[in-house]
Amino acid sequence: MENQNKEVLYGLYDDEEVLMSAVKKANEEHLDIMDVYTPFPVHGLDPLLGLSESRLHIAGFIYGAIGTLTAFLFMTWVFTRDWPIIFGGKPYFSFPAFVPIMFELTVLFSSVGMVITFYTICGLWPGSKTIRLNDRITDDKFCIAFETDNTDVQKLKDFFSSTGAGSVETATI
Amino acid sequence: MNQFSFESKQKSVLIGGMILGLICLAATWWVGDDGHHTRFWSNFLHNSVFFTGIAFLALFINTAFTTALAGWHVVFKRVFEAYSLFLIPGLVLMLVIIAGIWGHFHHLYHWADPQALLPNEEGYIDEILTGKSGFLNKYWYTFGTLIIVGMWIFFALRLRRFSVEEDKSGTTDYAHYKKTRLWSAIFLPLAGFSSAAIVWQWVMSTDSHWYSTLFAWYTTISWFVAAFASIILLMIYLKSKGYYENVTDEHMHDLGKYLFAFSIFWTYLWFSQYMLIWYSNNGEETIYFHLRRQNYPVLFYGNLVLNFLVPFFVLMRNDTKRKFGTLALVAILTLIGHWIDFFLMLKPGIRETAMHGHGEHTFALGYSFPGVLEFGILVGFASGFLYFVFSKLSQASLVPENDPYLGESLHHHV
Repeated sequence: MENQNKEVLYGLYDDEEVLMSAVKKANEEHLDIMDVYTPFPVHGLDPLLGLSESRLHIAGFIYGAIGTLTAFLFMTWVFTRDWPIIFGGKPYFSFPAFVPIMFELTVLFSSVGMVITFYTICGLWPGSKTIRLNDRITDDKFCIAFETDNTDVQKLKDFFSSTGAGSVETATI
Repeated sequence: MNQFSFESKQKSVLIGGMILGLICLAATWWVGDDGHHTRFWSNFLHNSVFFTGIAFLALFINTAFTTALAGWHVVFKRVFEAYSLFLIPGLVLMLVIIAGIWGHFHHLYHWADPQALLPNEEGYIDEILTGKSGFLNKYWYTFGTLIIVGMWIFFALRLRRFSVEEDKSGTTDYAHYKKTRLWSAIFLPLAGFSSAAIVWQWVMSTDSHWYSTLFAWYTTISWFVAAFASIILLMIYLKSKGYYENVTDEHMHDLGKYLFAFSIFWTYLWFSQYMLIWYSNNGEETIYFHLRRQNYPVLFYGNLVLNFLVPFFVLMRNDTKRKFGTLALVAILTLIGHWIDFFLMLKPGIRETAMHGHGEHTFALGYSFPGVLEFGILVGFASGFLYFVFSKLSQASLVPENDPYLGESLHHHV
């Protein structure tokens, strides 16, 4: 992770429709958006920002498959090799009885694995430093943030005023 | 294009399909006849039950969506309405089966045999069938079918009328929509209980001695998946003809999600029924699976491949639900898969009844596996179903212009 401090200029918008048209305008003017922060997922924003589809679900599938195999192999080993017991006159290897546990471990592995993967990618472990430009981003404001290191700040300010940003502020993160 | 026109070319193709089906159905009267014309009657019952059930589930889905305040499906809700009206010809088809029970033309149901409740040569009475005879008798079968399917038809016609009237005289206080919501909400609990009773009579009682509490749900969900699979195929066809330009990838994606989710739910019910019966190992209950697993293994395992593995692994990814090619392929496979599921529910039990419990379940086309004639009959019934649906679609605008949820549906985005 970078420890260098970055100067950030951000504008707050009241409405997601205004935000969407501002992002479109930024793309037209080839402004390099650092990130967009919204209180809820805005439909159609990802393709505008050029974000590719998340690959988290592929990881989820792999974790799930590992869970299925773990349950199947573990129970097969326990009930046929390690400690064979006859339950209700069924054979040692009773596949239908394994299925519910295979299902449960699939769900467990894929959900816990996806949570850990997601937190690792986003750097959200306990005690980690998080970027919070403005408290109202988690409530009702929509934010576009730019890095100001190599950019013409006046051009960004013009952009914000022309697209209807409610307030424009700076921050160091 | 908001008005569907039923072209004469489509008509002649569908009439050709129906004639093919009739020829195949007539052929099964003689081909492989066992003295009761069981192959003919079981095919007739199988397809009548399958398509009538799809019509009922279309009505159920429409009312459930309305009650849940769903808006995304409203653009093509006329398809659900046209499907649900097939209950009328469906009732006529079932009346043929009922006439067969009264006239003893067929031997589909053991309980309908007048000898079934009498003592046998050794003086023993069939206690299970005697115990069930309060429900499994020709009076219940006849009047139950008439009352329940009649009630479904009443709701289907009523909801269709509100919807079509709304096009012409829809007002801004949405009086038609409010009535639709009220009658949809009334229908749902009635549909839940009555569909179970219908499944017990039409399907489960072919294995007259056997019962399973889960069976009604399992069968209903089989209809549910078949209904969605056929609606996906119909929508892709209508879009290819230039109709429903406002139905986008987003709508098809949601239809695909329903196909995916309810295929898994079907598997859940299939497995729940199987595992409980397998675990308790009670001879009264295991007979159903024993008969099918020992003598019909291809269909028994093929059923799970077609209806679980294929939709699960193909539709799991996001983009396969948005590509019409893969979606259509899975829809065709699951539609045939659930037709085969009903085949497997009905045929072995009917065959056992027709052999009076004394025969071997050896390989026979039309029982162990659907023969060419069975697929011909499927084409015939499907053509008749489509002919009816197309003629109903052409009688009203394809898009309900004054539905309050139309705007939401047009802007649907997943």
